[in-house]
Formats: sequence, C-alpha cells, structure tokens
Amino acid sequence: MIQIFVDENACNGCGLCVKDCPMKVFEMVSGVSVPRRPENCMGCLSCHEICPAQALEHRGVVPSRRMYISSKVCSMLNRVI
Amino acid sequence: MSKSFVEESKQNFQHDLVFRTEDVPLKCNPPAAELEQTLHGLMQMNGYIIRSLEEIAGRGANAVTFRAGKKFGHEVAKYFQKKDDVEEALRELSYILYGQYSFEPWKPSDKDHYIVEEDGSTFIYLVFHDCIVRQTLRRIGQAQSGPLCQTLCGYVVGAIEEITGRRAKLEIVHTGPNACLKKLILK
Repeated sequence: MIQIFVDENACNGCGLCVKDCPMKVFEMVSGVSVPRRPENCMGCLSCHEICPAQALEHRGVVPSRRMYISSKVCSMLNRVI
Repeated sequence: MSKSFVEESKQNFQHDLVFRTEDVPLKCNPPAAELEQTLHGLMQMNGYIIRSLEEIAGRGANAVTFRAGKKFGHEVAKYFQKKDDVEEALRELSYILYGQYSFEPWKPSDKDHYIVEEDGSTFIYLVFHDCIVRQTLRRIGQAQSGPLCQTLCGYVVGAIEEITGRRAKLEIVHTGPNACLKKLILK
C-alpha cells in the first residue's frame, strides 16, 4: 500500500492537492493538507507534481518507465551539477 | 587538409557488403539499446504531428486520433484469442499492450468488486502505469488528455471490442505524471 507523508512545516495550505486528487485522498485540517485516505491513492503523483512547496512524499509507488529522459541532457546536467 | 562534407558523407555511406535476397535481417542493427536518439526523434515527431493536427482540426483531432487508435486495436487484436469473460479479456489486452502500456484493475477501497455490472453494461477502472503516449507528451512538454491520449483510448477500445465482441468505451478519469485512471465500459 502507498504511504503518503506531508511535511507540515513546508505545506503552505494552498489546497491544490485536495482539489487535484480524484480519489479525495487529502483533506485540509487546520490549514494543512492531511492524507486521510492513503489506501485510495493510485500513485499518479499529480499531487506530488502540483505541490508548490514540495511538501509531499510517497512511499510504495510503482514508478512508470521514463523513456522521455534524454541521456545526453542528463550527462550535460551531471557535468553542471 | 580536412575533407568536405560531401566527401565525408560519401565515405560514411560506402560499404562492401553483398546483400542477397535470402539475407533476411533477424535483429535490429544497431542493438535496440542504442536507439535512444531514434526513439526520441520519433516521440518528438509524433508529438508535433498531433499538436499541429489539434491546431488545424480543433476538436475534430480527437475523433481522428481515436479512430486511428481503434483501427490499430482491431487490427492487432485480430490475432488474439476471443474471450467472453471480462477478466480474461483484460488478460488478453495486457498481452496486446505488452511493452507499450501496462495497466492494473483498480477500485476505491470502499467498493467490493473491480468489475461492476450496471444497467446492462459492465465497467471497470484501470490504472495505466507505463504509457508511451504519456512519455511522448512529457518529452515535448504537452498537456495530457488531448488527442494523443485519444489514440490510446481508441487502441484499447478497438482491441477490447475485437476480443469480447461487445461495444466498448474508455473514459479518461484522471491523468498524472506517473499513472492515469481510466474507466472501461462494455455494453
């Protein structure tokens, strides 16, 4: 099962994850997003991408293949980083 | 003295290989693992074709791409076993989509069954994990659930119609960067 952790110090309470999740996994409690129904999470990671504070962490998600990442660009980034 | 581009090209494309009619190539050359640039070129070209189609044809683009996918689905599924049972049909579908798309049946935790019969039709939610459509859209920075996603919908609908012999529909419920939720309806 997928586990979701919200960094309460980072969450700015914008509620984007609450609006975006089709399975109503999140709820706002005292201005902070709380994963109330993590058992309904299908691991689409929309909330992860949409969160402006990057306050979310998912564990146990099946990662899809990432064929769109160019190894040429990655090698250039690695040199810079 | 450096060679001109024409001289260089001529040298690159010179080969003393004798190709006979019986020489059927049995494997990719170069190996598939080295085809990254080819794959990315194809993904980008495909993405731009779809984007241009949407700009010119507007909402009609969805119908065009759906039909293209559906034809493809019917064509591919012709050679697979026909199944009446929905679960077995989905297994067949997973064989058809192997290597391009992967999916799993899905249900909210408060529901008892994956396959639901309602008003003479059957529906099931599917979570698509691997998807070459999503990969392509992300490669060129285009939004999901547009005409390219309709290609996959058409593909699945065509394949499942061919396997089950029933009319099908695939609705996009939600799209995400890692997985998408779709509702398959069989009539």
